[in-house]
Amino acid sequence: MSWTRVLALGLVVGLTTGLLGPVASAEEIGDDLAAVARTGPGGRGSIAARKATDRLARNGLELLPRLLEAMDTDNIVAANWYRIVYEQITRRELARDPVPDFPVSLLKTYITNPKRQGRVRRLVLDLVERLEPGTTASLIPGLLADPEFRDDAVAAALARGDRAKQAGRNREASVEYRKAFRAARNSGQIGTAADRLKAVGREVSVVAHMGFVTNWFLLGPFDAPGTTGFELVLPPEKQVAAGVDLAATYTGKGGGRIKWTRHHSGDRFGQSNLNGAIAAVKEAVGYAYTEVISPRKQSVQIRCGADDNITIWLNGQRVLRRLQWLNGTRLDRFRTTVTLKKGRNRMLVKVCQGPQHKNPAVPNNWSLQLRICDAGGGSVGVTSGLPAVTEKNAAVSRESVR
Amino acid sequence: MRNTSMKRSWNGMIGRALLLGATIMAVAGEESRAENWPGWRGPDRNGVSRDTGVPLNWSADSNVAWKTPLPGSGISNPVIFDDRVFVTASDGKNLVNLHVICLERDTGRIRWHQRLWGTAPTRYHGNKSSMASPSPVTDGRHVWAFFGTGDVFCFESAGGRMIWHRSLSGEYGTIENRFATSSSPLLYRDTILLQVDHYGDSYLVALDRKTGSNRWKVDRPGRWLSWSSPQLIRLKDGRHEFIVCGSQRVESFDPGTGRALWTAGEMRRECIPTPLFIDGRLYVVSGPSGPSMRIRPGGTGDVTKTHVEWKNPRGSPFVPSAIVVGKRYYLVTDGGIATCLDTETGKSVWQKRFGGGFTASPVAAGDRIYWVNESGVTLVIRGGGDRYEELAKNTIGESVFASPAISQGRFFLRTTRHLVCLKGASGKSP
Repeated sequence: MSWTRVLALGLVVGLTTGLLGPVASAEEIGDDLAAVARTGPGGRGSIAARKATDRLARNGLELLPRLLEAMDTDNIVAANWYRIVYEQITRRELARDPVPDFPVSLLKTYITNPKRQGRVRRLVLDLVERLEPGTTASLIPGLLADPEFRDDAVAAALARGDRAKQAGRNREASVEYRKAFRAARNSGQIGTAADRLKAVGREVSVVAHMGFVTNWFLLGPFDAPGTTGFELVLPPEKQVAAGVDLAATYTGKGGGRIKWTRHHSGDRFGQSNLNGAIAAVKEAVGYAYTEVISPRKQSVQIRCGADDNITIWLNGQRVLRRLQWLNGTRLDRFRTTVTLKKGRNRMLVKVCQGPQHKNPAVPNNWSLQLRICDAGGGSVGVTSGLPAVTEKNAAVSRESVR
Repeated sequence: MRNTSMKRSWNGMIGRALLLGATIMAVAGEESRAENWPGWRGPDRNGVSRDTGVPLNWSADSNVAWKTPLPGSGISNPVIFDDRVFVTASDGKNLVNLHVICLERDTGRIRWHQRLWGTAPTRYHGNKSSMASPSPVTDGRHVWAFFGTGDVFCFESAGGRMIWHRSLSGEYGTIENRFATSSSPLLYRDTILLQVDHYGDSYLVALDRKTGSNRWKVDRPGRWLSWSSPQLIRLKDGRHEFIVCGSQRVESFDPGTGRALWTAGEMRRECIPTPLFIDGRLYVVSGPSGPSMRIRPGGTGDVTKTHVEWKNPRGSPFVPSAIVVGKRYYLVTDGGIATCLDTETGKSVWQKRFGGGFTASPVAAGDRIYWVNESGVTLVIRGGGDRYEELAKNTIGESVFASPAISQGRFFLRTTRHLVCLKGASGKSP
């Protein structure tokens, strides 16, 4: 071994053993945890956090309760500094022979508290699983409404339902599938649970569960040569602050008159095919308008996707504008948080249609998908404020499509 | 209050220890003459290593120096500096768990492994991307890692001590991306430069290497989504330019201030390949089915009509970057059609179906070009000539989506499950 390696080894051993100094007092630990909490944007507080975490990592398992308390923060930068301390302490203690007594009861309480940060709870579950194998399997089924472990619990419920169905116990299967459907927020699991329920004779509405807006008035096509549509400001946009005039007619693509027509999407995931509902055209702009009734003033997410591009106005204010040509409509591609007022809320949506793809065999999709939900993807109880579909209000003017 | 004398004593001890450590590192650095692979696409960010004696043949069982399992997924290329290899990965629910791992170059043993949380995971492609798509970058003393979650970290390379963490998505909004961001950071003087193009508000940002704070930030309204890594070029007069390929255009900025210098159009939307800078010329690949172009850098304003020396739509890939060896410019499409163009004229020299799908970008050492397909087959061809000449075809037995790395005579292949270090037949690094 060269002298440099010997020196380096001595340095590492010295820094990690004999030179570590005395265990910090509760007050000193508090100071260090607070120093980490002050980290934030722009790299703020890094130097102090670095020194503090070096000191904190010298502690043993007695630090875990205070450390986990500190880790329960929205501040992701601070959380990562704390995690570094957590990883060092737990790794060191798990490597001891015998492994010392971890505060397992406290850790389990932490895991099952839905008010704690999900990322920390999942980290702690991994630790407890190592200490007491089987913990995950025993805890997860009871966490169907849990924001962090919901998907795991839904998967477990679906699996129980499958086992019951295979054994011919359809009623029990139905109960498990129903539990899974109610709890699910992930579109794949929602679809699976709905399919499983249908297979045992129960129909459920994915649209209502996910909060899709399926009732619209549609207007178009307006002419928009090439890819100009996104920037064009057409009459409905000009009127949006004062209120869209659903009785008005306009000059559409090709020179004919176009008008608002009532549309309802019957798609399971609320997608509207504008090629069918407006017209199969290219280089155009279409608008969708809806009114939703909110049972209260509430903060909600609008989640949407469209092909091509999407712009949304809520109660006269533009709340989202995204450029994306030829990318297809994808569930929840774009999200924005808005406030719905109690009662009627008006929403205007603009969707462009681009030129034909250079490969003529590629169909020109023109579609829209939009839902209103909470931050976890659950329904927020809004209902349609539009009049019912009638033969008269759903009649599309075909004269414009040439 | 903490005991002040104890603090002073600690500071003194740590100060002396750090000084000693720095001396050891400096001595070790002087003794080392190896070619490192310090970031995305190597020392010059063009996929080319000056190493010689890089292995030509291998298989899953032969010429394997070591093979170390990696957690989760990631297509970032391994980064090698002296006796350390750095690699990033992500796993867990929505790939929100981030990993920065340092391995010993000679043995593959893990020296340190930091596990962190990402701020805002995005959508990603099942195999072709993850939150660990951008490659880390190192100067030997520190390593910086950027993730698709919008997080940037700085660690000491020796022991993995975290120096700073920035949550760009926490500060500037979630990176809205359907395949996960893959733009790799680069180092310029005392800053780290990042290109963050996405559906939302795109931007370029220069972070202080030591503190992570912003040196400058340039918003890019309307620039939209791209995955390309930026390039740093040095002009004949010594000035540097920061080159950014995005949707619709290539742009140049002053890397010290973020001031816009020039722009060239004719790019397609959604650019992924990294621009190359060879012998004073830029080579850029547009988005899907767009052209390759050679551009004379410099100038101001729109230089599309004055500085684009040639363009050729033939053989342009969507994902893999191109490579230049000698006077030849090589491309492979995602579907495995390879094209060789003349660097001076842009005219086609040959075209060949390699077979298999390609995500990884090619690398080269000497006149050998290494192309790794998604099945883990590495085709080695002779570059720089007029004819196609195959030298070897090696199968590692696992899928590969990450670009390889070459350092100190060894070839580093990141499969979907392992980091594999391949050595020459002699068993020694040349």
